[in-house]
Amino acid sequence: MDNFEKHIRENKALFDEHKADKAKLWANIASELEGPKPKVVPLWRSPILRVAASFVLVFGIAAIIGVSLMNKGDNTQNTVISQELLDIDMHYKSLVSYQVQLVKDHPKLSDADKEEFLLFMDELDKEYELLKLEMEKNLDNELVLEAIIANYKKRIELIENLLHQINDSKITNEDYDGYIL
Amino acid sequence: METNIRFTHKELVERSKSGDRNSQYRLYELYVDAMYNIGIRMLGIKEDAEDIVQESFVDAFKNLGSFKYESTFGSWLKRIVVNKSINHLKLKKIPITPLEDHEFYLKEDVEEKVEAIDIKKVKIGLEKLPAGYKQIISLYLIEGYDHLEIGEILDISTSTSKSQYHRAKKKLVEIINTL
Repeated sequence: MDNFEKHIRENKALFDEHKADKAKLWANIASELEGPKPKVVPLWRSPILRVAASFVLVFGIAAIIGVSLMNKGDNTQNTVISQELLDIDMHYKSLVSYQVQLVKDHPKLSDADKEEFLLFMDELDKEYELLKLEMEKNLDNELVLEAIIANYKKRIELIENLLHQINDSKITNEDYDGYIL
Repeated sequence: METNIRFTHKELVERSKSGDRNSQYRLYELYVDAMYNIGIRMLGIKEDAEDIVQESFVDAFKNLGSFKYESTFGSWLKRIVVNKSINHLKLKKIPITPLEDHEFYLKEDVEEKVEAIDIKKVKIGLEKLPAGYKQIISLYLIEGYDHLEIGEILDISTSTSKSQYHRAKKKLVEIINTL
């Protein structure tokens, strides 16, 4: 080894003139070292846990599908019920409105009688609206359903009675062919 | 003193082996600049040197279990950096040993008459050398490897290492004399 070589070797520390960006490099090194978490990975590599995880997944999915299907079933049932209810409602409504119109148009009925009758009908209307609201809250309540039908029946009965009365008076007064004692 | 230093490092190395991030950071702090300078000397590009140093520390900490104190931790780490640098150069297809062409610029009878030359001039001269010459000078004179080790690192024979080194030194002296 000549002097030239010795001189360089003796002063080799002088060649380390660059400074590394310590913080930046360490950040990258630390993230590389932390990358895959060894405590978690081996757990999932265990075949028993894998099977268990598969079961949990399958049951979970089945439960979600099951619940959503049941809800769907309920919904269709609900729409069927409300459709049925709507049909009944329409039937009675047209029946009632037809007969109310008959009463209104009846020439032999006094205005006071008509008003009294319509007042009665209005009361039943209010009751009907309340029942309808109750029905929306609780579709399965049979008592509410029965009350609605009873409400309609009462209206029809009322109208029928009124018409009977009118017709009866007609018979007694005009069309009676028999003897009057 | 030497024993004490090695003992201190051994403690750090042992704690780093068990994954203690603090000890790993202390080891990193002790060696990062030296390793970075090796990277710069081998690769010549700051970003490449940073990548190699990062990779080397990650590899070193991950494989610390295989470190059996056959050498100092520093020289073990240094060898990782040097090997990674050489592989990097191979991937980039940068010639590791000098091109034969450079021999035409050499005078056969140049004698190393440079005595107590300025280290600054050596640094400038090193920068002007072809990459392959610069590496072999660095490995022998600065990193302190012998020709047997350089042969292993560069995957060349010991005699090739010797002849390449002498050519490189001649060229370096020639450049320094012109400065």
